[in-house]
Amino acid sequence: MYKMQIESEEDCLRPMNCQLNVLSRSDGSAMFTQGDTAVVTAVFGPAEVKPQRILIDKASVEALYRPKTGLPRVHDKMRETLIRNTCSTALLVTLHPRTSISIIVQEMQDSGGLLACAVNAACLALINSGIAMKFLVAAVSCMIDHEDNILIDPNSKQLKGSKASLTFVFDSIKKNIMACHTTGRFTQLQYEESLLKCRNGSDKIFSFYREIVRKVHQEHDRMSPTCRT
Amino acid sequence: MEVNVGDVVLPGDVIQAPNTNDKGKLILGPGLCRHMDEVLITTSGVLRKKGRNVYWVDSHRKRYVPVKGDTVVGVVVNRSGDTFKVDIGSSEQASLSYLAFEGATKKNRPDVQIGDIVFAKLLEASRDLEPELVCVDSYGKKGKLGVLPEGGFIFTCSLNLIRKILNPKCQMLKILGSEIPYDIAVGMNGKLWLKTKSIKETIAIVNAILTAEHLQHHEIASLCDDVINALKGM
Repeated sequence: MYKMQIESEEDCLRPMNCQLNVLSRSDGSAMFTQGDTAVVTAVFGPAEVKPQRILIDKASVEALYRPKTGLPRVHDKMRETLIRNTCSTALLVTLHPRTSISIIVQEMQDSGGLLACAVNAACLALINSGIAMKFLVAAVSCMIDHEDNILIDPNSKQLKGSKASLTFVFDSIKKNIMACHTTGRFTQLQYEESLLKCRNGSDKIFSFYREIVRKVHQEHDRMSPTCRT
Repeated sequence: MEVNVGDVVLPGDVIQAPNTNDKGKLILGPGLCRHMDEVLITTSGVLRKKGRNVYWVDSHRKRYVPVKGDTVVGVVVNRSGDTFKVDIGSSEQASLSYLAFEGATKKNRPDVQIGDIVFAKLLEASRDLEPELVCVDSYGKKGKLGVLPEGGFIFTCSLNLIRKILNPKCQMLKILGSEIPYDIAVGMNGKLWLKTKSIKETIAIVNAILTAEHLQHHEIASLCDDVINALKGM
């Protein structure tokens, strides 16, 4: 298990905490928290695929989202679709045809920004599993309150006074938008401003990923006899 | 982001000015992929280099993806006509022809049952084809390959631990072997087969190997000593 914590700064994201390899049976797993929002993700793959899901030229990616209580509802299905589409684009699916890659997300606590937290946790679990990816993804949420202020990564208390909430997912190479989910009403200017703020916030998440991987390999590096340069 | 050898890398990073040999050839190992004119990194880990132009990424994985030429430990799960289906822990079961054993002919079939453990070599493994195993080398000799004897114990571990204990620098198997007689078959698919004289010794060696994943060199040597002393004390 590898732990990592980042403290938050002004006008920035909530403190992030992560533990990799928490589950023993899955090929990759991560427990990720942003503030008080916590999510556990498991990745299985490339594994055997059911005949109805088989694709001859690429891996079949599926995402499952489980809420903390009750059965999955419509908005959970929406989250599954977003996570699946984001991860299908990020993974090198053509490298593993006729296999399946499953990403299972379990909500542990929702304190605002759950969709963003779920996408980031899925990315960390994919990093842990070692499946080939073209780039990494990071999701940042923000909200617009009744005074037209834009707040990055709000918690559930702040979200109570919001008139719109937006979640953006960026890729790690060019920081293009990979996915976007919004609720509420906002003007185009507010959208563009939020996008800019979220894009800056995503830098923190990508450097967090790098730090985590550095810590994982530092622990093993000193002892691994495969060092050769 | 541009990275150099020895850096921690993430998918999406690009190698900065890789060296090629005199003919302009560059050899890309696991974790690297060619994208137009650049070398793209596809798994997270540490970038390594050997010689002048061989690059790869040292990463941590549990799930095995078949690679041509690897020796693996598998379990025979099915028999369809002239081939056996062997589970090697990958997405697809591998096929093993009954003629791929030493001295096997159509009249003289090898004695392989469902549930047997085999130590085989991957003859063919590409993403589009079913993996194919053989229990004989290109001279027709079996060497160390073939059906493993009964009475052993199979366990799985991560692929980086396998590479670690197989590395000539790692003394673990030697130190354990100097005091405890054992038979081991290490499969590159993360499966190990172990046979010793008693259950206690088997459990001791399994625990020693699994614990070694998080230890340094000198710690591994002292771990082995501890295990051997504990066994002698019993």
